[in-house]
Amino acid sequence: MNRVVRSPLLWTALVLAILPWLLPGANPFAGRAGFIDLGTTIAIFALFAMGFNLLFGHIGDLSFGHAMFFTIGAYATALFTKGFNVTVGSANLVWGGADSFFGSMALSLALGAALAFLLARLIVPRSSGIYFSMITLAFAQVVYFFTYKWDAFTGGEDGIQAIARPSLPGFAQSYLNASWHFYYFSAIVIFIALAILWWVIESPFGSVCHAIRENEQRAEFLGYDVRKYRVNAFFISALFPAIAGCLWTYYQQSITPDAGSIEYSGRVVMMSLLGGIQTFFGPMLGSFIYWQLQNDVSQITKYWEAVIGAVFVVFVLIAPRGIWGAVEDIEHYGLRSAVQRVFSRRARLETEMAEEVVSRAP
Amino acid sequence: MFLALTLHQFTDQFINGVTLGMLYILVALGLNIILGLMGVINYSHGSFFMLGAYVAYSLDPVVGFWGSILLAALIIGAFGMLFESTLIRPLYRRIPEYTLLLTYGTALIFEQIVRRIWGDDAVRFELPERFSGTLTVGNSQFPLYKDVMLVGITILVLALVWFLINRTNIGMIIRAGTRDAEMVRILGINMPMMFTLVFGIGSFMAGLAGALAAPVYAIQPTLASEWVILTFVIVIVGGIGSFWGAIVGGLLIGIVSSLMDLLWPPAVEMTGFLIMAIILLIRPRGLFGVEGLFE
Repeated sequence: MNRVVRSPLLWTALVLAILPWLLPGANPFAGRAGFIDLGTTIAIFALFAMGFNLLFGHIGDLSFGHAMFFTIGAYATALFTKGFNVTVGSANLVWGGADSFFGSMALSLALGAALAFLLARLIVPRSSGIYFSMITLAFAQVVYFFTYKWDAFTGGEDGIQAIARPSLPGFAQSYLNASWHFYYFSAIVIFIALAILWWVIESPFGSVCHAIRENEQRAEFLGYDVRKYRVNAFFISALFPAIAGCLWTYYQQSITPDAGSIEYSGRVVMMSLLGGIQTFFGPMLGSFIYWQLQNDVSQITKYWEAVIGAVFVVFVLIAPRGIWGAVEDIEHYGLRSAVQRVFSRRARLETEMAEEVVSRAP
Repeated sequence: MFLALTLHQFTDQFINGVTLGMLYILVALGLNIILGLMGVINYSHGSFFMLGAYVAYSLDPVVGFWGSILLAALIIGAFGMLFESTLIRPLYRRIPEYTLLLTYGTALIFEQIVRRIWGDDAVRFELPERFSGTLTVGNSQFPLYKDVMLVGITILVLALVWFLINRTNIGMIIRAGTRDAEMVRILGINMPMMFTLVFGIGSFMAGLAGALAAPVYAIQPTLASEWVILTFVIVIVGGIGSFWGAIVGGLLIGIVSSLMDLLWPPAVEMTGFLIMAIILLIRPRGLFGVEGLFE
């Protein structure tokens, strides 16, 4: 029973089910469309950030370019739904467009996987640490300029507008046009994706990832092929942003090159860190906080990004384990020691030594 | 006639590329010294470049043209030292990635501050009348400021930095610190002070590049993110912690992307990244990079 109650999947389902009501000021009976939209945004970015966090929080590689997979999923969906007519060299490629959620999802995943496969083999084995962060950033910029510059194919700066939401078998054509219906439809998709992510993290594979994060050398000495695990983790973590991108296009019903910009990559980094990187729920919490902040602060000042930047800087400096990490610290050390640990190195050493003593006692 | 015209265009673009490359070198070398010695990935480096341009623009009516450029660079350098000693210093005990996170956050703040003070639109820093002429060599004409003064000043600064790194005691400490900062500290060198100094030098170079670029390029709040990403690319191409790497990388990307403007304009922004991809395939640590630095 306890296991069921503490199961993160149960909580994920619960949070996704009640998210639109969780937002401060949300009233389920009046003016709910706005909260539903915010809720959809939060849920989609939660998936994006949690996929990213598999790499950053669980194996320790900071990718600063995960928006490239997001934008690939988004554009694949947009072009698959709207169709295109483009000339490459002497070949004329024409696609009439199609209305199929599973088709666009499969295409998003396939293209995201193809890019991830290529990059995983090209850059992951060759770079780690800060090289890795800078190189992923640079490659994301290549994808961004592709969507930005190739007018004939991607619509250039204006992007692609008026993308119809898909029709589902057994439902009316315009069923998903209602915000409510679309929210719960994407919540189900996101839940399935997160269930898979949870399964990956809880698997032996995930445990080895944690070992690599904590001490790469030691994991290597234990006989694990660190490089192989890093390649695989990169590949898997790229698939979730692609799914999120697919949902994002359907939600927005339009797409612009911004989706692949450094701002989007940075956004999920910030969400993960605000929520707590070494946890499963952290990025979801971070997505909630980020969009809630954005929503509130942007009503006060048009320079809201500075406020979010400042909040982020404070977190990096004093609470790098994020809110969820701070909650865990308080649970573990008690409120007083947890606060002391933030400001004093001595307190950190003392609490850790006390633990060492306890754990070594017979 | 046609060939002559293209040759002329080619030379023009080549020289444009050298000018651009010089600015790239100034910015990238500053970042590279910081990165090489301290393992700090300074995402705000582009913001320092942008702030240099804006500060020079604001100071110009007060202290005159050259005064504004020099003062802007000094102000940014001092600001960099303050920035390092307050915000970056607490992070040295952690993995280097956290410096990227922190400086990303501060870059967001700087951009909004610039928007608040100088507005969202581009401002123009007018070049004084006396520098807007051209220098005639043979039958080619070069814009006096852009192709002669800017390039000359950059070469002078690079020579000074080279001298500082290779021929002075401070430089010796910096070079040793790049290899093994802990050992240098054990030998009794005040490393925190060295770090602050080096960060100041790097910021000074970014600010100087920004101030020098101000009369030539449009100054706008998006400058920071554009330049910082290109600077990362140059550092990757040249190799982390390498003086000559930054120079070769900066010139290579400046010249090739300028020439690309003639061949196929839509691909200009991509050029740097394509060069980077190719070089990474051949030399994963960049042209002059050393294996195992900050990985």
